[in-house]
Amino acid sequence: MPLALAYAPSDAPIDQIAKDLGANGLPYSLPIHPNLVHLTIGLFVIAIAFDVVGALYPLEKRVFRFLALPITRGGFHDVGWYNLLACCLITFLTVAAGFYEMLTAVPLPGVKSTFGLGSMTTMLWHGVGGVLLLAVIVGMTVWRGFQRFLWRRDMGRQVQWLYLLVGIVMFALLGLHGTLGAQLAAEFGVHIAADQLLQAGADLHTALP
Amino acid sequence: MLELLPPLNDHNLPWMDTIHPIVVHFVIAMALIGYLFDVIGVVWRKPALFEASFWNLLFATGAIFVAIIFGQVEAGLAAPYGAARKILDIHTTIGWSLAGVLSLLAGWRYVIRSRDPEILPLSFLGAGSVVSALIVVQVILGDTLIWTYGLHTVKVVSAMREGLI
Repeated sequence: MPLALAYAPSDAPIDQIAKDLGANGLPYSLPIHPNLVHLTIGLFVIAIAFDVVGALYPLEKRVFRFLALPITRGGFHDVGWYNLLACCLITFLTVAAGFYEMLTAVPLPGVKSTFGLGSMTTMLWHGVGGVLLLAVIVGMTVWRGFQRFLWRRDMGRQVQWLYLLVGIVMFALLGLHGTLGAQLAAEFGVHIAADQLLQAGADLHTALP
Repeated sequence: MLELLPPLNDHNLPWMDTIHPIVVHFVIAMALIGYLFDVIGVVWRKPALFEASFWNLLFATGAIFVAIIFGQVEAGLAAPYGAARKILDIHTTIGWSLAGVLSLLAGWRYVIRSRDPEILPLSFLGAGSVVSALIVVQVILGDTLIWTYGLHTVKVVSAMREGLI
């Protein structure tokens, strides 16, 4: 692509702010995105899991009676609804923090991931995929809200089987997407101070005592 | 004996990637959101949120034991260096303590819920805020091990194997 390169600026844009960044490539000591990811993934998975438990309630009744744990079917669906709602709201911040930290990412050169992808390809998939997953989460939250407050308001099973199926497919997508993110850290060394210092030729005995 | 153990990959792990950070999703998210739901439930008088936070707390309590099992194995293979050794010690101590603390909190919550699921005493909220703060400290320590010291990252593992750290 000689034409595109001819228009490219001589310096990488990251160089404009490089002097304000620490060894981890961020203006603060620990990245924010991976911490918000705990909330996004935890809340989504448990939301769907509890809706599954609520949907299969007739099968479980006897087990819970044996455990002397008073339960209501509505209680399980409360977890499914509120956790998904919280997930939906928090995930906007997860994606926003992710984009900030991806724009400041400097992956280690010459690395191929376990998936056989380079750093740019991994970041593109993780970035675009993150926005798509957010869209699905928002869509599912709206869908869940319609089921809870309108379509199935008076029914014991508050969710459609299709909704649970889509949720379980999302588990697989979130797992794949999370693995790409984990590779950006553990394999490409993005925003990991020790990896970046080693790449710069520093001695960790003195650089990270 | 040692040759019976599975071989370690370039993350110094017998499995593809660290599992502990994945399991802790369910401790961090469930415990913190449970506390948030309790606060909102008290302020807005919405008992349905108490039910959601009870189950979240119960799940967090179960998950922390799984997190500790994987945490111990992966800590044993982490080869910490410098200050990371001390941070890993504190992270381990707080981790085991949190298992006890969360179990107690969940037990207390079970009793509260059995008596009246629609009422949450303020003392429980107070305990919840202390435990949430402890979890935040624990997350910062764990974050430091990976994001500052790069434990189990390919670059640090290869430097360790070359004897550079």
